[in-house]
Parts: sequence; C-alpha cells; structure tokens
Amino acid sequence: MVQMATPRGKWIGARVKRVEDPRFLTGDARYVADLTLPRMVHAAFVRSPYGHARIKGIDASAALAAPGVIAVLTHADVASVPPLQDPIALDGLKKTPQTVLASDKVRFVGEPVAVVIAEDRYLAEDAAELVQVDYEPLPAVTDAEAAMAEGAPLLFEDLGSNVVYDQTYRFGDPDSAFQQADRTFKKRLHTNRFMASPMETRGCIGQYDRGLGELTFWSSTQMPHMLRLSLAGFLGIPEQKIRVITPEVGGGFGQKMTLYPEEVVVAFLARHLQRPVKWIEDRRENLMSATHAKEQIIELEAALTNDGTLLGLRATCIGDGGGYSFNTASALVEPQAAALMMPGLYRVANYEARVVAVVTNKTPVGAFRAVGWTAGHTARELFFDEIARELGMDPVEFRRKNMIHEDELPYTTCSGQVYDSGSYVKSLDLALQTVGYDELRARQAELRAQGRYLGIGISPYVEPTAWGSEIALQVGFPFPSHDNARVSIEPSGKVTVAVTTHSHGQGHETTLAQVAADILGVDLADVTVVFGDTAATPWGMGTYASRSAVIGGGAVTLAAQEVREKILKIAGRMLEADPADLVLADGKVSVQGSPDRSVTLAEVAVSSYFVNSVRAEGEDPTLTATRFYDPKATYSNGCIVVVAEVDPETGQVRLDRVVSVEDCGTVLNPMIVDGQIHGAVAQGIGGTLYEHLVYDDQGQLLTGTFMDYLLPTATEVPPIQVEHLETPSPVTVQGIKGMGEGGLMASPAAVAGAVLDALAPFTPKVEELPLSPERILRAIGTITD
Amino acid sequence: MKRAIALTINGVRVEAEVEPRKTLADFIREDAELTGTKLGCEHGVCGACTVLLNGEAVRSCLIFAVQADGAEIMTVEGLAQNGQFHKLQQAFWENHALQCGFCTPGFLMSSYALLQENPNPTEDEIREGLSGNICRCTGYQGIVAAVKSVAGSAE
Repeated sequence: MVQMATPRGKWIGARVKRVEDPRFLTGDARYVADLTLPRMVHAAFVRSPYGHARIKGIDASAALAAPGVIAVLTHADVASVPPLQDPIALDGLKKTPQTVLASDKVRFVGEPVAVVIAEDRYLAEDAAELVQVDYEPLPAVTDAEAAMAEGAPLLFEDLGSNVVYDQTYRFGDPDSAFQQADRTFKKRLHTNRFMASPMETRGCIGQYDRGLGELTFWSSTQMPHMLRLSLAGFLGIPEQKIRVITPEVGGGFGQKMTLYPEEVVVAFLARHLQRPVKWIEDRRENLMSATHAKEQIIELEAALTNDGTLLGLRATCIGDGGGYSFNTASALVEPQAAALMMPGLYRVANYEARVVAVVTNKTPVGAFRAVGWTAGHTARELFFDEIARELGMDPVEFRRKNMIHEDELPYTTCSGQVYDSGSYVKSLDLALQTVGYDELRARQAELRAQGRYLGIGISPYVEPTAWGSEIALQVGFPFPSHDNARVSIEPSGKVTVAVTTHSHGQGHETTLAQVAADILGVDLADVTVVFGDTAATPWGMGTYASRSAVIGGGAVTLAAQEVREKILKIAGRMLEADPADLVLADGKVSVQGSPDRSVTLAEVAVSSYFVNSVRAEGEDPTLTATRFYDPKATYSNGCIVVVAEVDPETGQVRLDRVVSVEDCGTVLNPMIVDGQIHGAVAQGIGGTLYEHLVYDDQGQLLTGTFMDYLLPTATEVPPIQVEHLETPSPVTVQGIKGMGEGGLMASPAAVAGAVLDALAPFTPKVEELPLSPERILRAIGTITD
Repeated sequence: MKRAIALTINGVRVEAEVEPRKTLADFIREDAELTGTKLGCEHGVCGACTVLLNGEAVRSCLIFAVQADGAEIMTVEGLAQNGQFHKLQQAFWENHALQCGFCTPGFLMSSYALLQENPNPTEDEIREGLSGNICRCTGYQGIVAAVKSVAGSAE
C-alpha cells in the first residue's frame, strides 16, 4: 500500500532517474584522488603507534635523506597553527585542544605526528617509515567508565579529569514519577563503536598561488564554506582568498563534516612549499584516524503503572569521545543527542538525563548518520521490549499504549522538541500489516515447537530533520544553521541553481532541479544544479543532519518563486497582460484562457537582459534571486520491523524480512528516498551484527583493516521493503521533511530486537553490542566461560 | 629498477616503464590515466578496483603492473561502446544502483564478469557473485535489481 499526496506538479514527487548518474557509470566522474596538478607532490603522515605516549624526540634525518623526499615537518614546523578545538561554547564543556601535528603527547593510535612530502606517494610512504619518533609509552585508558574513575591515567593532565562534560537535565518531576510508580525497571547497554566508512576515504589537495595570495583547496568534504572559514582562521589567509572545491565526494555520512588536522597541514604545506600538495589517505588510516562513532554506555530506568503506562524515565548517557573533543563538540555529540531525544515518540512527562562526555585513548568521535540517536533509540527500544516481556504485554501493545497519537500533534515533548506533524500510530500499523504480524506470531510459536527460533523486532521512530537553528536548539546544539540558493535564468532561458547544501550521493542535482523545474515551468533537462565550489555558490553551511531536502529544497523554492515573479512581470509587459493572468508552464508564458498569446521563456530571458523597454526604470535585468532558508523544526517518522531467525547452536542470525515505513512529508523523488532508507538500514544491520572497532587495553586498534572491520555485503543485507506515508509538514516550505537518518536510527533496535525476541525462551542477557555469534551464544548460556 | 611492460587496456596498447612494485591499479590510474578504476581499501577487500584481466575479474590493487605484462585489461571506461551505455550501465541507471558512485566501477566490472560466467543468475547467485564488492550507500538493493533486470538477456 502506497499512499501519496496529490502530486504538486510535473516533477516534484516523480520517480525521476538521476541526472548525475551517467558520469559515474562511465568512469568519467572525478574524485579528489583522480586530480593531478602540475608540480604536485604527495604527503604521507607518520602516525602514532601508541594509544598514549609522551614524545621525547623526533629524528627525521633518515627520512629526509630518502629518495624523492622534499620535506619532513613535525609540530615545531607548524607551531604557528593554532590547535583544533570545539568552536561551540556550551556551559561546562571543557576544551581539549589538538595540535595539528602532535606536540608533547599522543592520545590515540593514528594521531598524526609528522608529515613527509615526496615526489610520489610510494616514496612518501617509504620515507614515513624512516621517521624515528622516540616515545615514552604511558598507561592508556580505553573504557569510558574506567576513564571516569579516580586514579585513571589522564589524557589532559591540566584538566585534572578525563570527564569533559557532566550535566544533569530535569524535565517535569521525575522523582515523584518514580515514587508513584507501581513498578520500576532498569537497563544498561554499551553500544559498539563503529564508523561511517565511506567508500572514498578522506583526501585533499592544496594549491597556493603566491602572486594572487590565494589558496585553492580541493577536499572530500560535506561543508565547503565551513572548511574555508576554518582554513582562513588556522592559516591566517583572508577568507575571500581561499576557494574550496569539492570534486565528486564518495560518501560522507557525517565523517566528512569535520575539519581534520590533516587538511590544515596540507593547506599549510601548499603555501610553505609553493607546490600543490596532495594527500589521499588509505583505508587503514581512515579506520584509525577518521572519526569513529556511536559508542555510549547508556543506563535507563523507567517508572510504570501496573497497566504499562509510562510515568517517567531516567537516563545516563556516557559518551566515549576518544582522544580529543576537537570538533563540533565531538565528545559530546553522541550522549547529548541521545539524551535529548530519549523520550522519542512516547509520552514521557517526567524525565531526568545525565549527559557525560569522556576522553579515552581511542580515535576521536564525530557525527555519523543519526548521531547519538542510534545508541539512544536502540537502548530505549530494547528496554521497552524487556519491560513488555516482564509485564506480559505484547511489545506492540506496550508501544501503542505509550505512543503519541496523531490527534495529539503538534506535541511538545518534556525535553523540548516540538513534533509538528506525523503518522506515528499509522506507521506502526502499516509496518505490522505489511509484515503480517499476527501470522508471524503464530509462525513463531509453531517453529519454537520444532526447536527453531524466529523473532520479530519492532522499532517505531521519530527523526529530527531540517537542521536549521530551531531544531538544533531543540535537540541540544544551540548553533545557528541555515543555507542559501541562487536561482538564475540565463539569457538563453536555461536555468542555473547554485546551492550551498552539498551532494555526495544524495542526488541533489536531480531533486533540487525537480523543485526548480516545477516552479519555473521548464524541463528538468534545462536546469543545472551547481554546488561544491565556494566561488560558484552563495555562502552556506553544507550537508549534514538530513537538512538538504528541506533547507536546499526550501531555499530553491523561495528563490525560484522570486525569479518566477520577475519572469511574469517582464512577460506581462511583452504580452500587454496583467502578470496575475499569466501561466508559466512548458517553457513558455501564456495568457490564461488564450494559449496562443504567449512568449517562450527564452524570449522573456533575452528581452530582460538585452531589451531595455521591457523593464521599468532601474529594474534589474538579470533574472536571478538568492534566498536563504532557516526552517522551523520538523520531524519525520516511520517504523522498521525486522524478522530474523537465530540458530542457538552457532549464534548465526539470518534476516528474513525488513519492512520500513517512512513518512518524510512531501516526497521530492521516491526513488531517492527509497535509496536513502536502503543504505541507512544496511548500515544499521552492519552496526548491529558485524561492525565493531575493537581496542585492546593499551589503546591498540585491533580492527584496522576491512578483513576484521566487517562491512555487510550483498549476502548479509536482505531485500528491504519500503512503504511510504506522506504527511506534509505544516511548518516548512512545500511541506518537505528531511530523511536519510531514520534507517540507521531505528534499524539496529529492530535487528537486535528480532534476535532477542527469537531467543526469548532462553531469557538472554545482552548488555553490549554488536550481536556477534559469540555474544549471542554467551547471552543464552551456550558459552559460559 | 624499472621494467618495460606492454599491455592492452580497453583495446588500446599501452607501453611503459614501471617500478616492479607499482600496482596494476596505480598503473591504470596514473600511467594509463584512466581514473575510473577506484581504490577503496588497497588490501583486496572492497572490490572498488575490480577490472577484467584476460576476461577474469581481478582486484587490481593486489596485482603488480609487471604481472599484467602482455595482458588484456578491461576497465569501466571500456564498457560503453560508440557512446552507447552497456546494458549493465543502463540497468544501474534505471534501478538507482548508485549513490555516491565510488564503488560503481567495481560493481559494474564484477557484474560484467558474473554475467559472462553465468548469463542467467538467480538472485542468490547475484548476491553471492557480488559479495566481493562493498557499497556503503545503496544497501545493494538497486545493484541486485539492476543485475537481475539484465540477467538472461543476450549481449
């Protein structure tokens, strides 16, 4: 069953093939690694092999003498560059500055210590092996709770503690709720550290033009203008003298919204050496040095009445931030986001949350699709499954009882989110109906009698989207957020849309063109969307947090509407008609009711630019408008149901069904929405069953290759069935809501929930993820040592 | 010490002097200047660098260019003929089998090899046949659908 709202035009809502695809299919698409510049040299970083050590000295003489080596730089050479640290001022958040090359200490395996520049990458890597760093190893701490304990090794001695943030928030009256409760429950879950792993690793090229005093910087980033602002600050180059270009970007998922020390070093080197400098990291570097994600220790308590009504919640979210909280509040980003969204789509009137961010000797943490929410949502949903089991209630009935119903919307949660609209119960019902819930429960009982273990995991979700200033505040990160679009009709009548949101797989060249094409009455082929070059677009913040459909789509809408007004004004003069009586469609403007009285858009455009008589005195000849958009908060929703069978002998999990119901308001292109869900759910399957960044107690990363960090392949990801509901937002332009993260927010709870439901007869105890076969066998007592 | 090699890439003869340690992937990308072949892991797991060597799918990051001396190589750039997409490229486009596009060349070449070997694979055989390639964007749904859509159709 697919419910679609009335199509709003020819293009918006249409399942249009992506206009950007051909160049990717032929191999013509150019990513940063594919670019070569004259006189270009190559950088390789020397990285810490220790989780925690003092640097006593560095001897680069052998490396400098190696063939093809141009320079070796250490901290002393880049001491003029300020350290990276959180730009966000949050009360109580301690700063943990990271120098771009380690100075006195290293705090995680993979931290950049020196950089070698050579004529090619092979020679640079050879020489990097020859840099002698004299380390004095220090005791490491790799567990967040251990790092909080008295006497733990300190990463930053001057802070006197590894805890960089510890605040408690109270909403309603949680203490009374717990006093009044008939029953209380507790759960602990330590979610696994996993990471975005975009198929293209990080990389950049810096080129400095001494004559112009200009830096051109190609980088695999999600946020070109923010990177430009940062580089200007770190290098002292005027911002307007820096041009950041993103060639194709091979996936980001949040990992590429961070400013990295390597980028600052490469930009520094380009100016220092007066030669273009290229750095393309390999996968081992990406696994140990690019941001990790998702690891939290979460403790939950719930207060309930005997009939299963939720009276209150308590949560402690401890974020294991790794070696530095160096970027966009990175150590805090996980626990803060988890805690603020912990009530989810349930009626929770009384809630207390303690948010703790801790540094440990592991790779720093950053955003990754549904940052914080994956861990928080997983913990809460698995907790609710346990509570329902204890109460003898069906997990669906427990959820339905406590869920916000459609007639309660808009709904303000106790922790401050304003849910504008949605289909919470409807999504749950549709997902259950699609999967055949009642039949499955009967089948489950049948199979259990045969000694087979089938389980059903249910994970309804509400997803913060449209990351503008308002939602940022509502979910715990008070930092303004907005973007721009410039829509121009060129003199030939063709359309250029320049946006500041960034596409690295999301298909904006198609979806944003669909928006403009509908408003301007042109064919999709007549619209080109430009992004990823600070010299070619207005200023804006980039792509993160499911914001581009709403903010990009909204800004394009507003700008295109303004251009449309200009077109109608000019055409009105050309046709001697009132603009209010004109129709703009199919590339021409005609008078309502007299279709033969018309001019083509190309005629309007060429007249506007070159025929002064069609314009009033002083009227702008260019058919262009730039508009910003900072939307009100809007929340998508949906429900994921997973059916799995578990072999209690081997701990093997087989996923039989995945059903995802998604409601993201006005859909721009259902094919692209489906693709986002497929990808996010696959990442959730990986993060629940396979992907785990494992450290030993000295801070050594034990999963440093794709041989041991296991990404799911086509044999691990089953067919994913997507159903759409469409509840347009009443508060955004075009009713668009964002999407893309819900799949990774909600699928881990559905996958793990299905596994634990299958094994319910064994009353499994799981306090850690992922659900590897070994962990499953331990949870059900097959392995006991 | 460099060694002279000669091989054919997409029907074009390429001669060069290369270091024995240079990988075939780097040779294709740097010496032959065909950058469609991608490097995702450089240790033989992700499959982004898959090319055909004498008709067989190989990971070009695990082979030295000197080992390919005299071989016939086909890369993603060799799929389209006379400006026309190969049916797999068309099917990938129709089925939304790519998002960021980085893994796409490897998937196209693995799919090509799979269909050469088994022109009419079942869905399970497609999933098995493509399990040496990793995609982080699509959840494999569009890729499997694309290959399925051309399975059984003639060249």
